[in-house]
Amino acid sequence: MIITGLCFYMFSTVIIASAVMVILSRNPVHSVLFLILAFLNSAGLFVLLGAEFLAMILVIVYVGAVAVLFMFVVMMLNVNFSAMRAGVLQYLPTGGMIGLVLLAELIFVISAWQATPAGLEVLASPTPINVTNTKALGDLLYTKYFYLFQAAGIILLIAMIGAMVLTLRKREGVRRQRVAQQVGRKRQESVEIKKVTPRSGL
Amino acid sequence: MTITLGHYLVLAAVIFTLGVFGIFINRKNVIVILMSIELMLLAVNLNLVAFSSFLNDMVGQVFVMFVLTVAAAEVSIGLAILVSYHRLRQTIEVEDINLMKG
Amino acid sequence: MNPVSDFFLILPELILLGAASCLLIFGVFRTTNADPGVTRLAVVFMGVSLVFVLAIAGDEKMIFEGLLITDRFGQFMKALVLVGAILTLVMGHGYREREGLMQFEYPVLIMFASLGMLLMVSANDLMSLYLGLELQSLPLYVIAAFNRDSERSSEAGLKYFVLGALSSGLLLYGCCLVYGFTGSTSFDGISAALSHDNTPSTGVVVGMVFLSAGLAFKVSAVPFHMWTPDVYEGAPTPVTAFFAAAPKVAAVALFLRVLFDPFGTMISHWQQLIIAISIASMLLGAFAAIYQTNIKRLMAYSSIGNIGYAFVGLAAGTEEGIQGVIIYMTIYLMMTIGSFGCILSMRVRGQMLEGIGDLAGLGRTNPLMAIALAAMMFSLAGIPPLAGFFGKLYVFLAAIHVGLYPLAVIGLLTSVVGAFYYFRIIKIMYFDEAKEVFDKPIGREITVVVSLSAVFVLLFFVYPTPVITGAANAAAALFP
Repeated sequence: MIITGLCFYMFSTVIIASAVMVILSRNPVHSVLFLILAFLNSAGLFVLLGAEFLAMILVIVYVGAVAVLFMFVVMMLNVNFSAMRAGVLQYLPTGGMIGLVLLAELIFVISAWQATPAGLEVLASPTPINVTNTKALGDLLYTKYFYLFQAAGIILLIAMIGAMVLTLRKREGVRRQRVAQQVGRKRQESVEIKKVTPRSGL
Repeated sequence: MTITLGHYLVLAAVIFTLGVFGIFINRKNVIVILMSIELMLLAVNLNLVAFSSFLNDMVGQVFVMFVLTVAAAEVSIGLAILVSYHRLRQTIEVEDINLMKG
Repeated sequence: MNPVSDFFLILPELILLGAASCLLIFGVFRTTNADPGVTRLAVVFMGVSLVFVLAIAGDEKMIFEGLLITDRFGQFMKALVLVGAILTLVMGHGYREREGLMQFEYPVLIMFASLGMLLMVSANDLMSLYLGLELQSLPLYVIAAFNRDSERSSEAGLKYFVLGALSSGLLLYGCCLVYGFTGSTSFDGISAALSHDNTPSTGVVVGMVFLSAGLAFKVSAVPFHMWTPDVYEGAPTPVTAFFAAAPKVAAVALFLRVLFDPFGTMISHWQQLIIAISIASMLLGAFAAIYQTNIKRLMAYSSIGNIGYAFVGLAAGTEEGIQGVIIYMTIYLMMTIGSFGCILSMRVRGQMLEGIGDLAGLGRTNPLMAIALAAMMFSLAGIPPLAGFFGKLYVFLAAIHVGLYPLAVIGLLTSVVGAFYYFRIIKIMYFDEAKEVFDKPIGREITVVVSLSAVFVLLFFVYPTPVITGAANAAAALFP
C-alpha cells in the first residue's frame, strides 16, 4: 500500500511538472520532450490502476508515434525559436483566472463522487475475474464493440487520406522506382561492350 | 496512504486545466496549442481508466482505446494542416493567423 | 443479437462506406482526370443510400448491442443530411472545375463525412457519439483547408481544427464525467441511472454541461461560434455551402437525441442553458450581420441566428418543440442551399465575387436568379407565406405553449432586426445601379438546385403535409 502511494505521488508530481513545462518552455523541442515524459509517467499510473495493456499502448502509440510526429514537424517547420514566447506575461492573468476557476469547479465536482448503487446496477461489462487485462479488453473489443473498432479503423483511413491530400505535392523530375521495368530490363540494354584498343584511350 | 479515486480525478482535473490554460496563454506557437490539446486528452484518458478501475467496469478502458486512436488521427490531420499553412505563410505564430477579422 | 438483421438496418451506411472505399481505389489507379467520374458516382451512391434510408422501415431498433439505434427520428434526419450533402456536392462541381480543385479526394471525403453524420445521428452510446462526431469532423477539417494554394483556405482549416479539437476535448471530458458518475456509457444505461433519484449528482450535471458545450461548438451556437464567420469566409465556397447544410443538421439531430434520450429526466437542468444559448445566438445573429460586406460572412451570422431560432423549439422541451426544430431545420437546409447556389454563381469574367455590393442591379441583369435569391432572403426573414415563416411559426408556438413568452418575444424582435439586412440585399439587387454583369450561363447543376430549393421555399405552404407529418412522427419517436 505504501509503495502504491509513493508511486502515485512520484508519477503524478512528474506529470504535473512536465505538463507545466510543456506549455511554458521556450523551445518547442523541449515541449515535445516534456510531453513524452508526461505520457511515460501516465503509463505508470495506468499500470497502478491495473490497465496494463493501455499502459503499453500509451507508450507505443503516444511516445512512439504521436510524439515523434510532433518532433518531426517542429524540426521541419524550422521556426525561429528566439522570437517565440515574448508575450506570455500579457495573457497570464486572464488565462490564470480562467484556469483557476475551471480547476476549482472540477475539484468541487469530483468531491461529490460516490459509487452510487444506481450506477453500479447498470454496469455494462464488469471486469472479469482471473482474466488478464489484455484478454479481457480483447474479449470486449472484438465482440461487443466491434462496430466501434471498425469505425476507429475508418477514422484512421480518413486521417491518412487527409494528410496526403493536404501535403503531398507532385514534383517534376523525381526519379521513381519502377520495379517491373528495373527487373525486366535485358542485358543488351544496360551493358555495352566496347572494343578498346590498347594505348589509344576511349 | 491509501490512494482513492479522488486522487486520480484531482490529478486529471489539474492536467486538463493546464491543457486549457496552455491554449489560452499561448499566443506564439500553434504546435504548443496542439500539445495542450494532447494534454487535455491525456487527462480524459486518466479519468476514464480511473473510473474503469474503481467501478470494476471494462467499458472505460475500451473507451480509452478509441480515444487514443482518434487522438492519433487528429494529430496527424492537424499537423498536416499546419504544414500546409506554414508552406504558404512561413509562420505559425498565433498572432499572424489574422487574414480574416472576426 | 442477430447480426444479419443488424447489418441490414445499417445498409445505407454500409453502401456509403463501400462506395467511398471503391471510389478511393478507382481514383488512385485512374491517375488523370478522375474527379468528374468520381463526383458523379459519389452523387449516385449517396442517392442510393438515401433511397435505402427511406425504404428501411423506421421502427425503433437497437443495433450492435445497443451501440446504435434506428428510429423514425434518425430516418428523417439522415434523409435531410444526405439531401444536403448531395445537393451541395452537385452544385459545387462547376466552381471546383474553374478554380482547379479537381482532386478526386474531395467527393470521397464528403462521402466519409456523410457516413460520420449518419452514424452520429443514430448514436445510442457515448462511444458511438464520439466516434461518429470525429468521423464527421476529420474530413471537414481537411476540406476546409482543401485549397492548398489559398492562404485564406489554409487559415480557415487551421482555425477550424484548433477550435474543433478543443471542443472535442471538452465533449470528451463531459463524456468521462457522465460515465464515471452514472457507471454507463450507453444512453439507456445513463437514463436508467438518472431515473433512480430526482436530483442528479453535480458530476452528471457538469458532465452534461461539458458535453453540451462540445456539441454547441459543432452547431455554432453562441458562446462557441467564434470559428464560424472566419471558416465560412475562408473555405472554398462549395465547402462553405456543405458546412452550412449537412453537418449542421446532423449536429442538431445529435443535440436533440442527447438531451432527450439520456438526459431526458434532467430537463430542468438543461432548459436554462438552452434558453441562454438560444437568446444569445439570436441576438448575435441579428446584430453582427448588419455590418457585414462579405456575403459568406453574412451567411455565417445568419446561420448562427437560425440555430438560435431552432433552439427556441428545443428550449420548450416538448414533443411539439422537437417537431418545430425538425421542421425548422428542414426549411433552413433548403434556404441555405438555395442561397449558396446563388452565391456560387456570382462570377464576373471567371472571377468569383463575394461582396454584397456586387449584387447591385441583379434584378435587371439576371431577373430569374434575382427572383430566386429574393425568395430565399424573404424566406430567411420569415415573411409569410414563404417556408421560413412556417419554420419560425412552429418553434415560437411551441415556446408559447409552455409559457416561454420572453423567449418568443425576443425571437420576434430579432427576426425584425434580421429582416433589415435580408431586405438590404433585396434593395441592392433591385434598386442599385448595376456595376458588372455576372457571367452566363451559371451552369446547369446550379440552375437545377436553385430552382428546386426556390420551388420548395415558394410553394411550401401549398402542400406542407409530408414535412409536417414526417417531423411529427420523428418527434414522437424521440420524445419519451
